[in-house]
Amino acid sequence: MIKMVKNLYNYRELIAALVWKNIVIRYKQSYLGILWAVLKPIMLMLIFTLVRSFVGIDTGNIPYPILTFAALLPWVFFQESASEGVNSVTSNAALIKKIYFPREVFPITAMVTKIVELAISFGILGAMMIYYKMMPTVYSLWVPIVVFYTMMVALGISFFGAAINVYYRDMSQALPVVLSLLMYGSPVMYPLSLVHQKLIVEQAAGHWSNNLYTLYTLNPLAGIIDSFQRVMLKGLAPDFEALYPGVVLTLVILPFSYVFFKRAENWFADVI
Amino acid sequence: MPIIEVNHLTKEYQLGHIISLKENVANAYRRMAGKAIHKREDFKALDDVSFSIEQGEVVGIIGHNGAGKSTLLKHLANISKPTKGNVIVRGSVAPLIEVGAGVNPELTGRENIYLNGAILGIPKKIIQQKLDEIIAFSELEQFIDTPVKRYSSGMTVKLGFSIATSLDADILIVDEVLAVGDLAFQRKCFDRMEDMIKRQGKTVLLVSHNIRQIQRLCNRVVLLDHGRINMDGEPQAVCDNFYEQSDRKIKANINSVQTGTEDSGEIELIEIYFSDHTGQRAEKLFYNHNCSIHFKINVLQVLEEVTFGFGFHTTDFLYLTTHNSEEQLCINHLTEGYHEIKCKIFQLPLLPGIYSVRFGITAGKAARDVFYGESLKHFMVAGDIPITKRDGFFALDAHWKLENNKATELQIISMAEA
Repeated sequence: MIKMVKNLYNYRELIAALVWKNIVIRYKQSYLGILWAVLKPIMLMLIFTLVRSFVGIDTGNIPYPILTFAALLPWVFFQESASEGVNSVTSNAALIKKIYFPREVFPITAMVTKIVELAISFGILGAMMIYYKMMPTVYSLWVPIVVFYTMMVALGISFFGAAINVYYRDMSQALPVVLSLLMYGSPVMYPLSLVHQKLIVEQAAGHWSNNLYTLYTLNPLAGIIDSFQRVMLKGLAPDFEALYPGVVLTLVILPFSYVFFKRAENWFADVI
Repeated sequence: MPIIEVNHLTKEYQLGHIISLKENVANAYRRMAGKAIHKREDFKALDDVSFSIEQGEVVGIIGHNGAGKSTLLKHLANISKPTKGNVIVRGSVAPLIEVGAGVNPELTGRENIYLNGAILGIPKKIIQQKLDEIIAFSELEQFIDTPVKRYSSGMTVKLGFSIATSLDADILIVDEVLAVGDLAFQRKCFDRMEDMIKRQGKTVLLVSHNIRQIQRLCNRVVLLDHGRINMDGEPQAVCDNFYEQSDRKIKANINSVQTGTEDSGEIELIEIYFSDHTGQRAEKLFYNHNCSIHFKINVLQVLEEVTFGFGFHTTDFLYLTTHNSEEQLCINHLTEGYHEIKCKIFQLPLLPGIYSVRFGITAGKAARDVFYGESLKHFMVAGDIPITKRDGFFALDAHWKLENNKATELQIISMAEA
């Protein structure tokens, strides 16, 4: 892990150049340019708002559009970094076959690219907060930590997935399906408080309820999205009860995933 | 300490497709059940290769397609990992393996310089310093802000080469890049390579099918054959050996398909052979000795006004000499049946090496081609030659003399003192 950080530092110029390349290429020759990046969370927000007008989801005193947009922000960042990360090695086959540098540069680059898009989404969130007359509190200082945690989760998936994808392209096919399912298992459309209400307060699943809640929060995104909404919109500290199962899982998976990637790396050039 | 050390390097690839997940699971089951697992065939791209290279050496790597040249370079550039053995490289490596690997078509030339610089590990500061030099070398000043996708392929390679050679590394690994661009640019690349080799004293590994280039640039050549080192040593000797090998391969091909000749069906070439100065048949000729070349033909239809011609060429088809019978032999009417034509060669001027014969016959007033073939016969020239005329194909009959005037005398004295 320390080696990874060191590599990251040594190859910072390369990562910067590749990120810049990704962004330039993606939006060159397009009129709207980088604005396309934020189209996805905005569209999803509009759709969810529309759906919500039929089914009715209780969001407390926070307007639904901004609550769901604040959920979509970390979610889209996670989803895109993971799926781009998984494809990052195979889509750079030409480089892998010709030039050596530590291969973790690719998943990391994919993720850093998404940070730029995340920053733009933040601008939109800010505009919405002004519109709804919401003031950021001191708790929004938690945001960098939450984003960093999201990055670690995304990397945990990217490293493992990217290495597998070199051998079996099934990975890049399966991942979008899994991720879109995971979205419904994360508090994106609905707030976490609703799940908490059903399982912990009402004990809706009998004596399984508490275990089910832990299982639900084992999904790191549950904690991430909830924390993000709390620190940005509600002016509260993150709910550590909802966070810790996911953090533990990530701490277990990430080193394993990284070691797996480094091992597989030796054969990338031969197999890709 | 050698700058590059390769110890018992072996690289195996598995032939065929990657086995599917299903097969993997099935194999795991078989292993658990103690049955034999289905394995794919292994292919040894490199087989126990060992050598070391000292700082400042310029090493050429030659061999047929599939001999393992590129695989070897990939290991030196740390792109592939050995199956067995190890590779130790003490210094930074600039891999010019297919230059322009990192060139992105969407970006402009200038943007690509920065991007490729970063990919090759050149710090941004250095790139900024060298930007003008790189652009000037690539000869693309006018197009540098145009996306590379609108470049011609030659322009792309020029750009790639310019970036790659601006990298200041201890070891240069070059894979077939000098065959790029137009002649003038090739010349420029070659000069830059020579400059890096001769003046900057860099260690260079060069892979090429252009054996002459290798001979010219390298001071050591490694011949690979089927993943093994076949020969390692002085360029001339190794290249000659390689020519012989190639010849054998070419000959085997010719014998099997017979495509080396064009003939109109009026004549049949039976045999070409040499005789030496004593008149004996010979496979090997000697430099500066007289010899003869004989052509045995079978004329199937009567031919008018026949001219014979033959020439020598190298095995890579560089034409060295020709001679035809037009002025010496006037054959107005060549009857059907077997004939033998003999041409006497005085003091064969070819330097030792492997050469090949081409032979042609024309007939009629318009001198239409009746028969023409190249690489019809390979032969070897041997002989001891003084060191003064070792390089090249021909001996030059020359004489050196010191004109005795004061100026040169002074020069000689000062040279002796130095």
